[in-house]
Parts: sequence; C-alpha cells; structure tokens
Amino acid sequence: MAGNRLSRRTMLRSGAGVVAAGTLGAPMVHAQGTGGSLRFAFWDHWVPGGNDALKKLAADWGEKNRVNVSLDFINTTGNQLQLTAAAQAQSGNGHDGISLTPWDVGAYADRLEPVDDVIQRLEAKYGQINPVAKFLAVHGGKWRGIPATSGTQNKPACVRFDLMQEHAGIDVRAMWPASGERGPGADTWTWDTFLKAAEACQKAGFPFGLPMGQFSDAVDWVGALFLSYGAQITNAKGEPTIKGNEKLKQAIDYGVRLSKFLPNDVWAWDDASNNRALISGKSALVFNPPSAWAVAKRDNIAVAEKCWTVPMPAGPAGRFLAYLPFTTGIWSFGKNKAAAKAMLEFFSQRESAEFTTNTSGGYDIPPFATMSDFKIWETQNPPVGTIANYPLKPHHQAKTSIAFDPAPPELASQMYIQALNTKVIARVAQGGETIDQAMGWLEREINNMRRG
Amino acid sequence: MALDATTITETGRPAAPATGGMTLQRFARRRSTIAFLMALPLIAVIAGLVAWPAGYAIYLSTLNRRMTSFIGLGNFEILLDSETFRMVIWQSCIFAITAVVLKALLGFWLAHMLHHIPTKGQRVWRGMLLLPWVVPPALSTLGWWWMFDPSYSSLNWLLTAMGGPSIPWLGEPGWARASVIIVNVWAGTPFFMIMYLAALKSVPDQLYEAAAIDGATGWQGLRFVTLPMMRNIISITVLFSLIVTFANYDIVRVLTNGGPRDLTHVFASYAFQVGVLSGNIPRGAAVSLFMFPLLATVAFFMLRGVNQRNREMA
Amino acid sequence: MMSASAASPSAVLPGVARKVGSLRKERRWALITAYVSLVVAAIVMLAPPFYMLITSLKTSAEISNPVGTPWIVRNPTLENYWALISDPMFRGFFFNSIKITAAVVCVTMVISVLAAFSLARMKFFGSGLLATGVFLTYLVPDTLLFIPLYQIVGGLGLLNSIWGLVLVYPTLTVPFCTWIMIGYFASIPKELDEAALIDGANWMQMLTKIFIPVALPGIIAATIFAFTVSWAAFVYPTAFITRPDEMPLTIGVVSQLIRGDTFAWGQLMAGALLAALPPVIVYAFLMDYYIAGLTAGATKG
Repeated sequence: MAGNRLSRRTMLRSGAGVVAAGTLGAPMVHAQGTGGSLRFAFWDHWVPGGNDALKKLAADWGEKNRVNVSLDFINTTGNQLQLTAAAQAQSGNGHDGISLTPWDVGAYADRLEPVDDVIQRLEAKYGQINPVAKFLAVHGGKWRGIPATSGTQNKPACVRFDLMQEHAGIDVRAMWPASGERGPGADTWTWDTFLKAAEACQKAGFPFGLPMGQFSDAVDWVGALFLSYGAQITNAKGEPTIKGNEKLKQAIDYGVRLSKFLPNDVWAWDDASNNRALISGKSALVFNPPSAWAVAKRDNIAVAEKCWTVPMPAGPAGRFLAYLPFTTGIWSFGKNKAAAKAMLEFFSQRESAEFTTNTSGGYDIPPFATMSDFKIWETQNPPVGTIANYPLKPHHQAKTSIAFDPAPPELASQMYIQALNTKVIARVAQGGETIDQAMGWLEREINNMRRG
Repeated sequence: MALDATTITETGRPAAPATGGMTLQRFARRRSTIAFLMALPLIAVIAGLVAWPAGYAIYLSTLNRRMTSFIGLGNFEILLDSETFRMVIWQSCIFAITAVVLKALLGFWLAHMLHHIPTKGQRVWRGMLLLPWVVPPALSTLGWWWMFDPSYSSLNWLLTAMGGPSIPWLGEPGWARASVIIVNVWAGTPFFMIMYLAALKSVPDQLYEAAAIDGATGWQGLRFVTLPMMRNIISITVLFSLIVTFANYDIVRVLTNGGPRDLTHVFASYAFQVGVLSGNIPRGAAVSLFMFPLLATVAFFMLRGVNQRNREMA
Repeated sequence: MMSASAASPSAVLPGVARKVGSLRKERRWALITAYVSLVVAAIVMLAPPFYMLITSLKTSAEISNPVGTPWIVRNPTLENYWALISDPMFRGFFFNSIKITAAVVCVTMVISVLAAFSLARMKFFGSGLLATGVFLTYLVPDTLLFIPLYQIVGGLGLLNSIWGLVLVYPTLTVPFCTWIMIGYFASIPKELDEAALIDGANWMQMLTKIFIPVALPGIIAATIFAFTVSWAAFVYPTAFITRPDEMPLTIGVVSQLIRGDTFAWGQLMAGALLAALPPVIVYAFLMDYYIAGLTAGATKG
C-alpha cells in the first residue's frame, strides 16, 4: 500500500472534490476489497457535524484505494477515548489506529508503529511540524504517531470586545486586528494588563470565565500561564523541581490573585461551563477554541456578534498559547499498517486538512505552521475576522504549549488527569494554604505518583 | 431476608432425619445432590464473580503500577502517605454518615406522615414520593447537575427571586459536599420511607390504644411503642443504606467528578480516577479495598442483629 | 407530627371530657401537619424531574437565554425528543439496554429461583453457610469489584461488549433476588410439599407445579428488581464500555449526550427522561409488587 501513494495531482483533485462534495458520506465504504479493510477510532468531535470531514475523507480515500474503511468516533467525556486506547494497548487488539490524547502517545510508544517515512514526506512538503506535537509524538528517536488536524485545538482568549472596551478600556480589535499584524498596544497584552482587565470586568459584573477545575480547558490554560512565567513543575526525568522554584511561586501567586476576580465556583467548572458563561452573556472573556463562539452564534447571536479572538497574554518568559494536539497512532499489532499509514498521510495533506478545518467551522488546527492561512479563519463571522487570530500566527510572537512540559509522558498524563496545576492554585486561593504549603503538597503528590 | 435463609436452613435441618428409614435416607442423599445441583449456578456466580474478583483485588493491590513486580503493602502505604487520600477517607465517612442519618430521619418522618392520613389517599402520595427512587440515579443526577449549573442554575434563580444569595453549588467545597449529600438524600429517602411505612403498618393499633388509655402522649407513644417495635427494621435499613451510600459512585461521577480539589471524592470515585483513568490499576484496587473494613463491620452487626432476632422470635 | 403533638399542651390537661376534645383537636392538627409535610416533600421530590421535563421541551435558544424564570417553558417544542428518536446511535443505546436487561433478567431468575428453592426447601452440606453467603454477597458493592472485574473481563476479551455486561450484572441482581425468593418459598406451608411428595411428584415438578405458581408475586417482585437494577446499572458500563455502539442507555446518555465543550441541555434532559421511562412505567403499573419486593426482606423478619 505504501506504493499506492497518491501523486500530488490526484491529491489535489480528490481534495477539490471533497470540498465541493461537502456533506457527509457513509462511514462504511464497501469497495471491491483488494486493499483489505481498516478500522479507525477517532476523537468524537465536539463541533456538531465535525466528524463528517473524516467520514468523507475516509470514504473517498477508501474508494480510490479499494480499502474498506470504517470509523468509530469516541468521545473524551469521561475519558472514554483514553480508556479505549488503554484497553487496546493492553489487550493487543482493537482498531488499526486510534486518536491519542497528548500524553498517551508516549505512554503507549512501544505498541505504536513508527511512521517516520510518512512524516519525512509531509515535512518535506509542508515544513516543520509544530514542536509541541513533535515533542509529544517522538519517542526513542522515532515518530510514534501522526499529529492530527481533526480535534487539535488552540485555546486563545475569546473576548467580548464591547465589554472589554467599556469596562477595561482595552480595544482588543485594534490591538489584534484580523489583518495579521500587531495593532497599537499589542505589546502591553501581558498577564498584568490581563489582571487589571479581569478586575475591572468583575467589578462591572462580567467576570472572566476561566475554569480552574480538573478538565482539559482548565489544565491547558493554567499550563500556558505557568510556562509564560517559566515555571516548570518537573524536569524531563520527572523529578520535581519545586523546592525554591521562584518562577513557580510567581506563577501560582499570579493565579491566586487572578482567581479573586473570577466567579466563585470556577473550581468546579468543566469544559462546557466557560462556554455557557460566555453564551449567557455573563462573561467578558474565556479561553476556548471557537466552539463557544459557534454555539453562541446558534443560540444567542447577540453575544456572538461581540466576540473577538485574541492571543493569550504574555508573561516574563514569553507568550504561550494553550494547545491540545491529537495524534493518530497506528497500533503495531494492526493487520493493515501500510494502508493505515497511507490513509493518514492523505488526511494530512493540505487539501484534506483545510477540508477538515472548514467542516469544523475553523476549530481544527493543522500541525503545520504553513497551514495557518486557511481562508475560513479570515471569513468566519459575525463579526468578520472574529477568529482570525485563532491559529498561531507569526505576529503573535508566541509558542504553543502543553501543560506539564517537559515531564515524561507517563507521569505527565497522571498529573494532567489529576489537574495538579489548577489544584495547587486552588489550595491557596480557596483552601487558604500558603504558597509554600501548597508547593509542598504538590511535591509530595508528584512523589507519590512516581512511587510504586 | 438472610434471616429467612438462616431460619429455614436451621429449622429445616431436623425435619429430614426425623422421618428416618433406609429408603428415606437414600432419598435424602439424592435430595441433597439435587439441591446442590440446583444451587450450583448461584455458587458459580458467588465464587466466580464475587469471591474470585475480591481475592484478585487483593492480589492486584500488591503489585506495582506496571503490574510487573510484587510490592507487598506498598500501595496501601503510599495511599496513607497521601494527603489527598486521607481526605478521601474522611470525606467518604462524612458523606455516608450524614446522608444516612438525614435519610433515616426524613424517611421516618415522611412514613409517619403518610401513616397518619386516610388509607385511601396514601397510595397517590406514596406513588409521588417514591419517584426519585425509581429513576436511575445517574440520570436524575443529570437533572440536579443542570439545576446546579453555574451560569443557569434554576435553584439560584429561586433563591434570588426570594431575595437570597446565589450559591456556588458545586464550586465551593462546603457547598459541593452539601450538594452531593442533598442529591443522595433526595434519591434515598423514599427507600427509608417505604420500609418504615411497612413497619409502621405492622405495629398493632391496640398497642397505641392501650398506650393512650394509660395516658401516653403522642410523643410517648412514639418513644415507647413505635420505636421499640421498629428497632430492628431501623437498624437493618440504616446498616444496609450505610453500605450502599458508602460505596456510592454515580452521584459524585456525574455531579462533581470529585472536584473541587478532590474534596468531594469518595472511595469509589477516587478508585476510578486512580485505577482506571490514571492507569494505575493496582493502586485503584488498593483504594477500593479500603472500603472492606467498614463493610465487614456492618455485615457483622447485621448478621448479629438478624440472628438475635431469630432467637427472640424462636 | 411528633413535634406538633409533643408541643400540644392539651395532652397534659386533666378531665376526661376535655381530653376527648383535645384528642380530636390533636388529630386534626396531626392531619394538617401531615398534609403540609407531604405537600412540601412532594414538591421537593418532584421538582428535579419536573425541571428536566421543562428543559427537555425548550429550544437551545430559550435555554441559553438567562432572562426570566427558567421554571416555565415559553415555546414548547418536541425537537429534542425527535432528534434523539431519529438518531440511530440513541436507538442503539435503547436496544442494547433491552438486550442486556432481557438476558440478565432471564439468567437471574433461573439462577435465583433454583437456588432459592434448594436453599429454602431442600438442603445439602453447607447450605446454611451458602444462605449466609448470599446475604453477604449482597453487601459487597459493585464499586469494590469493578477494578478486578475490569481485568477479568478484559482477559476474556469482553471489554466493549454487551456480553461482558451480561456476564457481570448477575453480581448485582442474583443475591437480592435469591434472597427475596427464599423468603417467599419459605412462607409456603410445608404441608403442600409433603402432599406433593406423597403424590409421587419429584422435586422439579414440585417447584414448577406448586412453588412457582404460589410464589408468583415474589417472582414478579424479583423480576422487577432485576429489571430495574440492570436497567440502571452505571458503574460496570462506565468502566467496561467505551464504544458508543455497545453502550446501554444510562452510560450512553451520560457520556454521549454530554459533549465535552458544547452540548445541548434540552437533548440531554430528553435523553435522561426517555431512559428513565421504562422503569417508571413498570413502576406505575406494578407499584405494589415493587414495594412488596422492596420491603419483603424487612417485614418478613
């Protein structure tokens, strides 16, 4: 099947056809099977209709290559996708390939087929893959999965520009225009400015909707906050770097101060609470992919018209953007690995990626920086350009980030699931501990995870 | 019911030998073989799906994370070292005890109220009040979750409409714990109510009449007639509910997922988080085994109470 | 009521005539207290299901609008219900639940009727111990067993299969059903089976011809119990099933209709109500059996 690789031209054609055809195709394609069959499990997209892109791409590819492709879509609610991956890795049977959450690639690296050949070809064509995606997917010098477009998301700030202007005096549209350049005051978009704005908006009755609980939205944005203060909880070996870590202390302290201006129940918010806060019109800012805006557009258009997406604020160590990349892995125990690779390579082509992103209304972020120029981000409205700054662009002068970087995957995935970074802030802000006590707790908790 | 089981087997025993005789003996032998075969599926379920997994849990709990080497009591030691887990023990106990006491009191009160209205009206009321117990708890908890939602809480709407403050139901640890207890009490009170109602109905009216003639007040009637007559059922219901509440999972899972800051985790939800979600099966098994001492204590008291009652009645 | 009568001063007043009058007054007060309490309790008990119903009849736009009372519905719509009923995935949950429940109820009833008969009427070495064992098994919660069972079911290759659930659900249903049935069988007079034995009936005939018909209310109660428990089971499917096409309703609604980041409360509530419907219907029609089964253990003692 590797020899079946599609030429650039057929790729273009099929990509174009895909975009034109648009609507959903059947998930199961019965072709005269010469290429065998493939069964993949993908992340069940949160954007309504978001799965249709992969269904369509798989159908087209399967037909062309005479492979029966069937797709399952598995939700991350209740960590089902992660549990499925764990069960399959353990039992050595299941799908041919599966979407993996950020840290899971490393956790199952020894059961995943290396895909260096595919990555080489893709990078030759589209340039370097996002460094965070690479960090998560490369283990033992080999690529253990292909960074995916579908489901991969950034979590920049989705701002109610009217409220921000009125109460905090910041014109985010001027600061971060849709035109791809920095506007006046972009340099002042730091966590300190952010804190003042948070206070002002809270006083006006529109507090920022920043979750501080145990779900990925919370862990991701706090992870970016920590990194922008240069605060790392462990080193690459997983040893805690907490004692006497002034940067970490600063980051926690900032989190505590900020949380004073958030709604008092953010400690229990889930991934949907911030969206609801925005959609209800009670919140001036959330960190989220454009799904919050998209649902507002459907359910409460008056709010959606006043939303503008801007990068996350910068800290002393730079500007970091919360990033949640999915990676598609191919199980080494699969029967049709060559076909699986070929299909994922097709999914990674620019045309396929653009189709995926379009179908999700601009939610999906391809792993290549060269693909941050899809038209949909410029054209989505109302207002036009509202998510122009959703993908990471050069003028943001930012880096994507993953929480608990650079811990080893097995430890990082536990810290991620247990949300240690939000809890350490919560212990101070809500639990009344001192920062040193909370940091002591953090260190003991990590040591307990590493034991046994 | 265990009571019945033990009574029967104990009283039934002398019955067979009493008949005596050679053929009857052979018959009895055959009979016991058949009886054993009939009970065999039950034995298979108990042995294969309860006893064996329970033993396996103990074995699992002695392994390391990757299940490659034996670490003895290491997991228990690590857990007891962890502040989070010590909080979980504490929370599980608070949750179970508070919820059971509230359920017992409210259930007793409602049963009493029901018992006092005319019999023909009781059915309708009983039907309505039992509804929370009939709906699968995971599903009704969804409804509560929506009523507690931070941005759209309908409960807070009622509170503010009445001039009260709006409450961070699931965000503030105290309230979050209270919310979990509220939902559990809501779902569990009907069970107590119906058990107590059945028991109240079995108290002969003559006892109350006799007490009234002796000049007993309503309170004294309750204290000296009702409570003693219901002692057994109250203790059995409470003990039974203690186990079920202690082992509860669905309410915490749907409502708070253990948050904020793990302060609403109970054993079951924490075992799930550590064992299944974080992929440390042995440690998760160790967490759930911590439920065992309490279960054993409760089971001991229930068996003792049941046997005592058997002797009293015999 | 307790507090009302305890506080009532009339009880301590002397004089028979007065006492009768005060007793009547006390009764009236007791009745009023009773009705007030019941009304309050009914409101509290029914408010969540009522609010779920209200929400399920709203459009997303109405739900998202925070203005005005959330307790009424302004533009009722059935679209949430239609969306679910026309969704093959949701119908799949329903069929899975039906398949699992039917299989589990059959297995459970066969196991527990046979075992209860054997434990209540016949005996063998260790049957007393086994009866105690059944009781103790009922006290072992599923949350203690799901981790080892996860390994065991996984070892059998039955993770993500409804048959894995059919295998493990009997741990939830069999002990209590056996327990109920032992009680019912024990209450059947001994004379009946002696007469049957003299007539030359064998044990199997005795069970099917006498015990099952006579203990039919008990069997219905046990069946309802098994049905309710397997329909509502949550811990095992959460742990063992992650693929939507093998999910039963409870976990399907909780995990598939809650979308991580954007989801429709109207549909979620509609799904929860639809999923709760079968037990509620059974309950509405068979309430007395339901309650009999529930209280059997307690009242018999």
